[in-house]
Amino acid sequence: MIAACRPTSFFLALALTIIWACSAQAKSTPIDDSGSQALEPSVSMHWKSATPRPGTDNLMVGAATIRVRINVMPWLRRSGRIYLALPAQQPGPIGLSWITQGRFMLGQVRSGNRVLVYAGPITTPFMEDVFKFQFALAGSLLPRAVPVTYHFEMDED
Amino acid sequence: MDVTSPHPLAAEPGRTADPGARSSQGSLRRALVGAALALAASGSASAYTATLNPASPQEIYLQVGVGSFTNDYIHGGQPGQNTTVNSVTATVAPGVVGNKAPQAMTTNSTATVSYWDGYTYCSVPGQLYIGGFFRTTGAATAAAQVNATVPASLVDASGDTIPFSTISWTSSGNGDSGAEPFPGGTFVNGGVQNVGSMASNTWNESCWTFSYANGTVPRVGTYSGVVLYTMTAP
Repeated sequence: MIAACRPTSFFLALALTIIWACSAQAKSTPIDDSGSQALEPSVSMHWKSATPRPGTDNLMVGAATIRVRINVMPWLRRSGRIYLALPAQQPGPIGLSWITQGRFMLGQVRSGNRVLVYAGPITTPFMEDVFKFQFALAGSLLPRAVPVTYHFEMDED
Repeated sequence: MDVTSPHPLAAEPGRTADPGARSSQGSLRRALVGAALALAASGSASAYTATLNPASPQEIYLQVGVGSFTNDYIHGGQPGQNTTVNSVTATVAPGVVGNKAPQAMTTNSTATVSYWDGYTYCSVPGQLYIGGFFRTTGAATAAAQVNATVPASLVDASGDTIPFSTISWTSSGNGDSGAEPFPGGTFVNGGVQNVGSMASNTWNESCWTFSYANGTVPRVGTYSGVVLYTMTAP
């Protein structure tokens, strides 16, 4: 009976779809970046605009340079996607932008998100570049020094 | 910025700790090697910690009369210092001295344009610009206070005096409506008086129009006095 067979086929197709989707999810793994070197001990935050501006959130900005050296040996001779992740954290919304010397992609990210900085084959045990970061957050969130954490992570293809 | 010591991979909830999954069909030796590699990878994962320091948490700017900005703020202007002391004067004609008709005072200040946005805010020589801001990090704070330190009297070369309280001012600004941050008032005869306030992280400005009360007949002369305006931020 056609009417009886149709629901069965539908549920089978649905189940297969779910299984396929799960198996296609990439594994996301923090990358060992202990070989990196920060060129400044801390980030001095200054007002982005010297004067208060109507309609803005009174941003403070600060720059830092890091010689990034990440250990990608576990993924050698495979392909993967490397992200820079900035977790949601105190004291509130944080913006992070950066430029590089070309090994990784430049970009920007808001806290609670991650952004792709490399996609392709992993051909060397270590990947290096110089990142010039700029942090930005509202001055109302920065009454005193605050730590901000971020990291690189790998999604295997 | 500090690069901290490695964090254990287990600190990443929902993430896998094994970047190199091995087949369960392999030999015992391969399985052990795979486990060792996975452990090494998880133990050396790191995160960066940047310490953000508010290096310039407070800035203040007060302008009475002419001031200095490198440009309007919308063009990245930066405030500067200006040591000019502007004057506000009234010359009372002999026929009206002491007739109680207030005499308008004029200023030698040329400040008409707001450095906030380049808007022509005050009119000279009838008005004296006063404005500024204070910036502070953290939550909104109490307002900064602007005070005037006023001598007891205006004095001429012979030592004759006119009380400072004979000078008052009204407050306005081109296009303004509502209350002014620096409202009208009358000078005290010696002392410190509050002439306005500024909420944190806001620009505040007014144009003052001064007048002399002209209620007495002082000896002929040129009377002068200096009022010092100061701003105190919390």
